[in-house]
Amino acid sequence: MLELLQQGFGAVFSLNIMMLMAVGVAMGIVFGAVPGLSATMAVALCLPLTFTMGPQAGLSLLVALFIGATSGGLISAILLKIPGTPSSIATVFDGGPLMEQGQGVKALGVGIVFSFLGTIFSIVALMFIAPQLAKVALSFGPHEYFAIAVFSLTLIATLSAGSMVKGLFAGALGIAVSTVGIAPVEAVRRFTFGVSELNGGFSMLTVMIGMFAVAEIIKLAETGRHAVQGKAKSVSMKNIKGFGFSLKEFREQLPNAGRSGLIGLGIGILPGIGAGTSNLVSYIIAKKRAKDGHTYGKGNIGGVVASETANNAGIGGAMMPLMTLGIPGDTVTAIMLGGFLIHGIQPGPLLFISQGPLVYTIFAALIVATCMMLFMEFYGLRLFIKLLDVPKHILLPIILVLCVVGAFGLSSRLFDVWSILLFGLLGYAFVKAGMPAAPFIIGFILGPMAETNLRRGLMLSDGSFAEFFTNPIAGTFLGLALVFVLWQVFSALRPKPSAINEILRT
Amino acid sequence: MNTLNKKELIIGIAMLGASLTYLVLAQQLPGHDGVDAATVPKLLAGFLSLLGVMQLVSAFAKPKAAAEPAASPAPAEAEEPTVEIVEPKTVIKTLGLILGYMALLGPVGFPIMTVVYLYLQFLVLTPVNQKARHLTYLLIAVICSALIFLLFREAFDLLLPAGLLNNFI
Repeated sequence: MLELLQQGFGAVFSLNIMMLMAVGVAMGIVFGAVPGLSATMAVALCLPLTFTMGPQAGLSLLVALFIGATSGGLISAILLKIPGTPSSIATVFDGGPLMEQGQGVKALGVGIVFSFLGTIFSIVALMFIAPQLAKVALSFGPHEYFAIAVFSLTLIATLSAGSMVKGLFAGALGIAVSTVGIAPVEAVRRFTFGVSELNGGFSMLTVMIGMFAVAEIIKLAETGRHAVQGKAKSVSMKNIKGFGFSLKEFREQLPNAGRSGLIGLGIGILPGIGAGTSNLVSYIIAKKRAKDGHTYGKGNIGGVVASETANNAGIGGAMMPLMTLGIPGDTVTAIMLGGFLIHGIQPGPLLFISQGPLVYTIFAALIVATCMMLFMEFYGLRLFIKLLDVPKHILLPIILVLCVVGAFGLSSRLFDVWSILLFGLLGYAFVKAGMPAAPFIIGFILGPMAETNLRRGLMLSDGSFAEFFTNPIAGTFLGLALVFVLWQVFSALRPKPSAINEILRT
Repeated sequence: MNTLNKKELIIGIAMLGASLTYLVLAQQLPGHDGVDAATVPKLLAGFLSLLGVMQLVSAFAKPKAAAEPAASPAPAEAEEPTVEIVEPKTVIKTLGLILGYMALLGPVGFPIMTVVYLYLQFLVLTPVNQKARHLTYLLIAVICSALIFLLFREAFDLLLPAGLLNNFI
């Protein structure tokens, strides 16, 4: 393993890739920091840039963006009291008050350092767990894959915000859209209406760009002209030693950070829920366990530590199912999957055997990008604060142009450009209907996987469905999916104020 | 509560409408006995329709259920301090601009259409309390268009449609 890792670092430490990653981390931080822009958008928009790069350079750039954007959310959470991304919601609770008390730099320093520690922790976990998981996954056949796909879909559809009916509908609709094009196994054309461009189905990237970027622009048009854009207050970096907090404070927060890191990692591995949930969960737990719990929400650095460690620990967690099973855990890793496929790499257990050096290059890129993030985000803070002031009505139209370029770049056809508008409208309709977009995306990606493996499994077992339930692993996952739905239905019938809803309300 | 219920009802109708359309289309797929390419779409269509019906039912059932908690103060809605002003007109203008941009991208070309689109879109989205700065907008539009076009052409090997400028670039 060490030798492979050494090779990986060797590949990353070339001038070309290092520069790309520096740009990637910086851009990621900006996308994370500006409310309304997200990690998903950053990776989706930059994916077309990697088409002409080699897989090592391309994937390093995507990884850098992912890390920068996940951590960048804390800047606006602390300075503007608006979470830049859903994964920084809990950072606002204590980061905001700290800023008001004139301890903004301390809050930022703590947030950035513990973001760094959370990310490193999760990458180390990824490096040790993923190869073992891949070994287990090697023995998986179509039955297991079908069951895992169904399980993942159920989890994401029932856990996403809002009503379960809407979540499930969004997931199922995603699968329905993925059935457009030539069917697996039989190669029958489905729902193409004679349009030859539809034979290959909709491209994953156009669906993502449409749902996340174009929909966001339409949404801004609705309220943007009257919205008050918060002015970011600058912080003075004079007389700041290190990262703005003392070693004693650091030591005091270590147990909290360890616990939050584990929570973030655990929630990150589960498909469907990620940093958006884990930061709230670990905040609640940190508040309960802390001796000075009553000061949480009034400016306790423990709150920032819990939230930021947990959301960044989700990075390694989310990469695990992606790299070992080819199943994306959230929307960012869904685009990363697209990035892998574009470079001709199929994530899954075989990745560790056939592309060993590349896997370790990705691990190395993750580590290097995390270190870059630590220094760039803290010492380049003033620059990022300036960028927060770029008016939205200038920024979002330019992003739309980039969306169009990205869609066109997929295969140089205007059809893909029209697709992003179609999915943009759909995404806007989803927002209006209070329907979550993430299950739709995951349904769209896992739908073909579930269908193909269902058909293959049936062929293997001569058309009998029994095998899906008698196979121990497949049966367990399908059973878990069923239990999960029943549990959700049960708890929906007996509404109890959940801790997360409670805290969001205050 | 009444408006909320109406909204949920409309959502339910839209969900059911989409599901039934998909169901009709799925029925028309060629197939044979046993599991075929039409099986999954048909199952999905059934599941989608079921969810649509559930949404409709819950929209009808909600007023009764909602009546009880309404007696105690509903904190989530009552405490919403900022009322967002929604402007459907700006949305329609924006959609029109995007539509026009995409339609003319091929014939007129990326460089010209991007300048036109960006300039107009900046104007449409300018906040009500700010003045439109025409010269700045135009400058940003031209620089962005040229930069993106050339960057992708030279560095990323992506030939964006040049359209009318085909003979000049």
